[in-house]
Amino acid sequence: MKKNIINKKYKFGLKILSAIALFIIADQPGFSQELDLEKEELKFGFIKLTDCAPIVIAKEKGFFEDEGLQVEVVAQPNWKTLLDNVINGDLDGAHMLSGQPIAATIGFGTKAHIITAFTMDLNGNGITVANSIWDQMKENDPELDKDKPKHPITADSLKPIVQEKLDEGEKLQMGMVFPVSTHNYELRYWLASAGIHPGMYTKTDIGGRTDAEVELSVTPPPMMPATLEAGNIQGYCVGEPWNQQAVAKNIGVPVTTNYDIWKNNPEKVFGVTKEWADENPNTHLAVIKALIRAGQWLDATKKKGIFRRGLDLVNRKEAARILSQPNYVGADYEVIKNSMTGFFYFQKSDKREMPDFNVFYRYYCTYPWYSDGIWFLTQMRRWGQITEAKPAEWYHKTAKEVYRPDIYLKAAKILLDEGKIDKSDIPWGTDGYKPATSEFIDGIPYNGKNPLSYLKSHKIGHKF
Amino acid sequence: MKLKHRIYKLIDISGLQLFDPVARLFFREEPQVQIKRITQFIVIPILAFGLFLLVWQIMAPRHTTKSGEVPKPGRVLDAAKGIWTFHNREKEKSIAFIASSDEANKILDNAKNRLEEIESSLIPAQDETIANLEILEQEWRDKNISPKIKKAANIEYEINSKQNSLKTELEELAGSIKANDKNAKEELVLRLEKLELQKSKWKIELAELKGTISILESKKYPLLERAQRKKDRLEEEKQYLSVYIGILTKNRNSKVEELNKKLVDYSNSFYAAESTKVMSSAKRLVRQKTRIEKTSESQYSAAKTLPYQTLRSLLCVFTGFIIATIFAIPLGILCGLNKTFMCAFTPFIAIFKPVSPIVWLPIGLIVVGGFIPDPENNALLSIINKLPIFSSFDVNPAFLASAITVALCSLWPTLVNTALGVSSIDVDHLNVARVLNLRFRERLISVIIPSALPLIFAGLRISIGVGWMVLIAAELLASSEGIGKFVWDMFNNGSSDSFAQMFVVVFLVGGIGLLLDRIMIVFQRLVSFDETAPSV
Repeated sequence: MKKNIINKKYKFGLKILSAIALFIIADQPGFSQELDLEKEELKFGFIKLTDCAPIVIAKEKGFFEDEGLQVEVVAQPNWKTLLDNVINGDLDGAHMLSGQPIAATIGFGTKAHIITAFTMDLNGNGITVANSIWDQMKENDPELDKDKPKHPITADSLKPIVQEKLDEGEKLQMGMVFPVSTHNYELRYWLASAGIHPGMYTKTDIGGRTDAEVELSVTPPPMMPATLEAGNIQGYCVGEPWNQQAVAKNIGVPVTTNYDIWKNNPEKVFGVTKEWADENPNTHLAVIKALIRAGQWLDATKKKGIFRRGLDLVNRKEAARILSQPNYVGADYEVIKNSMTGFFYFQKSDKREMPDFNVFYRYYCTYPWYSDGIWFLTQMRRWGQITEAKPAEWYHKTAKEVYRPDIYLKAAKILLDEGKIDKSDIPWGTDGYKPATSEFIDGIPYNGKNPLSYLKSHKIGHKF
Repeated sequence: MKLKHRIYKLIDISGLQLFDPVARLFFREEPQVQIKRITQFIVIPILAFGLFLLVWQIMAPRHTTKSGEVPKPGRVLDAAKGIWTFHNREKEKSIAFIASSDEANKILDNAKNRLEEIESSLIPAQDETIANLEILEQEWRDKNISPKIKKAANIEYEINSKQNSLKTELEELAGSIKANDKNAKEELVLRLEKLELQKSKWKIELAELKGTISILESKKYPLLERAQRKKDRLEEEKQYLSVYIGILTKNRNSKVEELNKKLVDYSNSFYAAESTKVMSSAKRLVRQKTRIEKTSESQYSAAKTLPYQTLRSLLCVFTGFIIATIFAIPLGILCGLNKTFMCAFTPFIAIFKPVSPIVWLPIGLIVVGGFIPDPENNALLSIINKLPIFSSFDVNPAFLASAITVALCSLWPTLVNTALGVSSIDVDHLNVARVLNLRFRERLISVIIPSALPLIFAGLRISIGVGWMVLIAAELLASSEGIGKFVWDMFNNGSSDSFAQMFVVVFLVGGIGLLLDRIMIVFQRLVSFDETAPSV
């Protein structure tokens, strides 16, 4: 209780401060030069996935330097180490899975108060199955047996395979990258929407396999293709370039992307510890400014506002070139280029335009939405990672502890005053909740304002 | 002593006996014997290595996996060059960042010219080459690859149609069987079973065919591949140059100049300020001054490259090795001197010795994490980071954990050897010491340690070898900036160069291991009484 009061007082103080800050900013053009940085030399971590692009671009295109920051960008071996390094202070901030700051804050896994004031991208994941599974899926649903089958592909044609395995006393094995990763929830969502039970987390089962019909296990993203080839798993859900790698190496077939599972879903965020953010408020602002500009650069089109297809994104080829450097993502340029320039190979014969496969700036992407945080919380509850039922207020409160649009808006305001972004780029007047949407693979509507009724609307998983 | 003998002695002590026959041949000492030795110790190993390269060159392309080909020696050399170029470019960027404006202008012109050259002539030329090669590639594919694919596809088609015709045949048969024809029904079941059996065989065959087809399809025309790689290199250089030029035009000095200009403005307005604004403009002035100070000290944060990582690994292995030695030698001496102590200690040695570094590392991380909860403001870490060599390598908990892992894995050979050395001292020596009525300290320093030294150093030599081997795994797991992290990063890249980069690391790690071993041999020979200490 006491903590709560302090928190409220603190927030009130912050609001006043931000109001004062905004007042000063409005008064003084060119305020960016005046940001009094607490720390100039920073170290950010990332995982070798194309969606780390905003951090890498902000460094390589000099957006960090424009803010007076010298940033070292260091690859991390896996999500756990990355989070540990942020918590123990070895890293100042990092490219994180959307679920990570939330899970750390509520204490699922390592406990630490992590906040985020910047969403790095939308979409960008795919679900790939092994060739043998794809062949069986095609047998189950002849509609799929074409060069370009109709999308979205549901898990309905996978269900008989799962059942057959169960009858043989085995369970289909699939990989995802981290227990609180978007991939885990997306894969579960896809399976559950076809009535396949992906297993529950319980107090004693932290692997999430209770009642599972398909067993999910953790594999680091870069290891996915090799693990699939070795036959330890029969499918996986992962970000790019690891789905395109499977196509390039002929070891698997991406059946669907998370764009089909939930159109324009939030993917990665930029996370820092609350402690760090409190100690370095101005540095944090400067970082967010640079990241917003990087997002803008990544989604820049030839003519402002005109966007029809991936090729209109003028900077993406250069971005792919930068990302293919060995110290960043390091995969071959050709492989990274596909998804970055708006194309996706589902099979060698099936190349499709997916202009929104990676979104870094459009659709108010960079804004840290409370409703995104709440969706992840509902999924954590749905699958039992949150072991007890919680009231609706708890969802809102927790999301507000982690997602910090106040910081984001402050940074955006400075950029607006400097004339570096358009007023229409940022949702200034929002209350932090995206409008309700039913653009999911199973059409179940989601409204962030009402998490409990959303939980109730699913067939599999906890309902409250 | 004559020059010649000095040289011999030097060669002997420095552990380079390999070159002893060369030196002796130079002084015309038993030329025939020397030539024989040279053939034996120098020519044959070189020939063997050449043979190895040859076998590698021939065998590599025959082993293809879905993840790519095993790289040929040339490709590995390319990868090594690539790593070196990357290192140099990062270094150039750091230099550009701190260059004075005169220097910056000088290199700026060069860089701009080079960029211009790449953009306007080299890349278009390469594009043209690639376009020409693509035509050739199509011919090559039509001639060499397509027939094979067609053949495989034909077999595939045959199997499929056979399967289908058998299926329809049986279906027709089933349709024609009368309800009471038991024999025919049994016959049908038998044939159906046979068909199923045949089908599973075909399935394997089909899978194999698919495999061959996909390998054939992914075969690349070598010339075209090379040309594309060349273009990639050019594009990379172009990318680098544009960043480089960006840094040059906006480097530290130009930033400081800009800030200084503002400082002048600020100080002017400060002296002209009305009393209400004095405080605020004074603050602004002070803030500007500290900013200038900070900016003028800032450094470009370059990416960590393999040469840096190698040096940091070496530092890490020596740190671990020294920690191990500090514990192992005293414990070993105690074990050697005292039977009871030895008996008490044996189980620990037996249990801990075979434990893998992969197990020690998490334990090391926990221990280090316990002592250093907050690495940013930790007294011990900041002291270490001020030490002369350590200061340029950013010692962090991951480094310490790796060093401790090295220590835990490498202390056992030294410990055991020390114990052995001490316990096997000539009884006469000890008796003499007793007769002379030496105290324990004198006995230790002048009798026990000297006579155990050769074995101690033999142990140390094994220890450092073990430590170096273990370190790579430890760094990989702890993601401590070193060779281990390089390996993990490159493996994770999964690019077409990854395999070749692994091979580069093999030679690098092997080479350094050899060097460390040689150094220890030198020490070992320096402390040995007999001249026959091991030299291989």
